[in-house]
Amino acid sequence: MFSSLASLQPRQLAAQVLNFALVLSTAFMLWKGLSVFTNSSSPIVVVLSGSMEPAFERGDLLFLWNRGLDTQVGEIVVYNVRGKDIPIVHRVIRRFGGGAAPLQLLTKGDNNAADDTELYARGQSYLDRQKDVVGSVVGFVPFVGYVTILLSEYPWLKTAMLGFMALTVVLQRE
Amino acid sequence: MSDTKISPHSLNDLKNTTDDCLANYLRSLSFVQDNSKLDIRLAVGYAAVVISAVTFAADYKLGWEATKTGTAVAVVAYAALNAVYTWWMWMVEKGMVFEGVRGGKKVSIASKTKKHDPTYYLTVTTSSSSQPIQLQCPFTTWFTQDGYFVAQPFQQWLASSVAVIGEADSKNAAKSEKDELFVSEAERNGTTSTSGADASHAKGTKRGKKKS
Repeated sequence: MFSSLASLQPRQLAAQVLNFALVLSTAFMLWKGLSVFTNSSSPIVVVLSGSMEPAFERGDLLFLWNRGLDTQVGEIVVYNVRGKDIPIVHRVIRRFGGGAAPLQLLTKGDNNAADDTELYARGQSYLDRQKDVVGSVVGFVPFVGYVTILLSEYPWLKTAMLGFMALTVVLQRE
Repeated sequence: MSDTKISPHSLNDLKNTTDDCLANYLRSLSFVQDNSKLDIRLAVGYAAVVISAVTFAADYKLGWEATKTGTAVAVVAYAALNAVYTWWMWMVEKGMVFEGVRGGKKVSIASKTKKHDPTYYLTVTTSSSSQPIQLQCPFTTWFTQDGYFVAQPFQQWLASSVAVIGEADSKNAAKSEKDELFVSEAERNGTTSTSGADASHAKGTKRGKKKS
């Protein structure tokens, strides 16, 4: 298999490597394009916990929209806790301000007993719509995201998958 | 005979190996290869990859908020380059496997295969004739049953069908005289290639009948 790779002309080798690079870069740029379109840093997220059951379950894939910042009570938003980089999917139960004043939100998981004040960063008792929220949920696909939960829980799977992808693309012509 | 063995049932392998051998053959006949079309494709492709790599680095270092506008521009540029790349491959290169000059005569060869049809289709454009020539030949003509490429019948086919190549390789161009020699040589190399050639002849006639 590798001998066929070695026998390639330099230009053919460059074209082969380009094939692989284009697969990766296209995937990345599609993701970034979706980010630009939705104005969200991560327009697709996977639900990691059961705190929103029965609305969303672990492994559900959520599509986010972050244009039109006037979030209403009852909307489900994804936010990042300041200082931590874990996205949390919860429902808005209160809103303060809005209009000229910055919009502030209080959230709670449907399946949780208490609201999220405990989860927020120290000294923070509400979310800043503009700064903290990644987007509102506008659609979802159940269960599809379970693969990424597996990937994050078993990191070696990631390496194996990436290596396998690289190998097939480089070794296969067209 | 080349020493690499391929699966004779994989159309992709048959085509790729033949494409490589075609370019090697023409280079050996002192055709000067012109790679400009492939070079342009590579340049466009790598430019797109560099844009995406820079976007990735900027995003990794500065975060989403700081790079928003830049990312939007990069996405548009990437999409445009990718469109050019695809257009170039489908509309300009069109499966081109060799382009070159010999003695002031240009030749450009594009190859293709059709699904589930083990036939090699060539479109040959030369500077001497205005119309491109369409050629076709079953792969069994130059592949043995166990997947070895045999250069002689392949080169003979090309040299006798394309005038510019025939001029460069007069030995192979005189087809009828060489035919017998090819069979005896094939027999020396093992019976498998003879049966392969037989099969190809049978197929060739069938195809001919269908056409007429």
